[in-house]
Amino acid sequence: MSAPDIQEIVIPDTVEELLGDDDARPDAPWVVLVWNDPVNTFAYVIFVFQKLFGFSREKASRLTNQVHFEGKAVVANGSREKCEADVARLHAYGLWATMQKDD
Amino acid sequence: MARRTFKRTRGGALRVTLYTQEVELLAMTARDMMAIVEAPPDGDVRDRLYPRAYLDPTEETAQGEYDALVHDDLVAARRSALGVIVAGLDGAVANSRGVVEIELLADDETQWLTAVNDARLVIGTALGVTEDADTDYEPGDPRFEYGVLYAWLTQLHFELVSLLLDEIGEAGSDDPPADPNGDTNGDTSGKSGT
Repeated sequence: MSAPDIQEIVIPDTVEELLGDDDARPDAPWVVLVWNDPVNTFAYVIFVFQKLFGFSREKASRLTNQVHFEGKAVVANGSREKCEADVARLHAYGLWATMQKDD
Repeated sequence: MARRTFKRTRGGALRVTLYTQEVELLAMTARDMMAIVEAPPDGDVRDRLYPRAYLDPTEETAQGEYDALVHDDLVAARRSALGVIVAGLDGAVANSRGVVEIELLADDETQWLTAVNDARLVIGTALGVTEDADTDYEPGDPRFEYGVLYAWLTQLHFELVSLLLDEIGEAGSDDPPADPNGDTNGDTSGKSGT
């Protein structure tokens, strides 16, 4: 393997340029939100959180209460791909989930 | 002693016990839902069954990619789950007391869990249920029959969720063990609305 020709190396102006689009960074912070809705029961939402995310009853209950009383709760975070997969699993269980950048 | 609709057998299956009228009602509901989950009416029902992953309107490209990746599989999963209910009930024979018993294996109980809830999502959304109002409409109200159906599905679903919550237990995989004397602070009542 030969060394690269130094003339071909372009130094990016910023780290952001090196990383490219913010969304394309695998570690870009995204969060998954579950929103309050009038149909899903407390018990069901607690069960889904425990089953999908392995949360304890205490954590699942706390998040479910937050969904109910504050209207929404962050239940997961990570890369865009991971969050899309989590949203899809929550949608399959009938929960109202969305994702957004963690600003 | 009240009849239990869902009971774990010693062999690990989930035994479902229903009266024949309940079998007919559930099978009819599941068949109706097959068409609705495939092509829901535009508006609230569709938005509730298939919510956007992205609220941000500038993420339209990502939303399109999400739909392309997920939507068809989600429709297929919902139809498959409803099909498990229909198939299970179609093969069931009532005993002399008019009671039907069927046994579900592990995968099938998840299908029942999600399919019954999907029916609740559709009917509850169509009725415009809120967290504070029950669905006890007056006879003669056009919503009366669906209100009764919704309440029954909610009861059925809650019985199944209660059993599964007991079985999944208190502990989590990514948390320190919960204090066994601690208050879980969880309201696990059947009240609708998270």
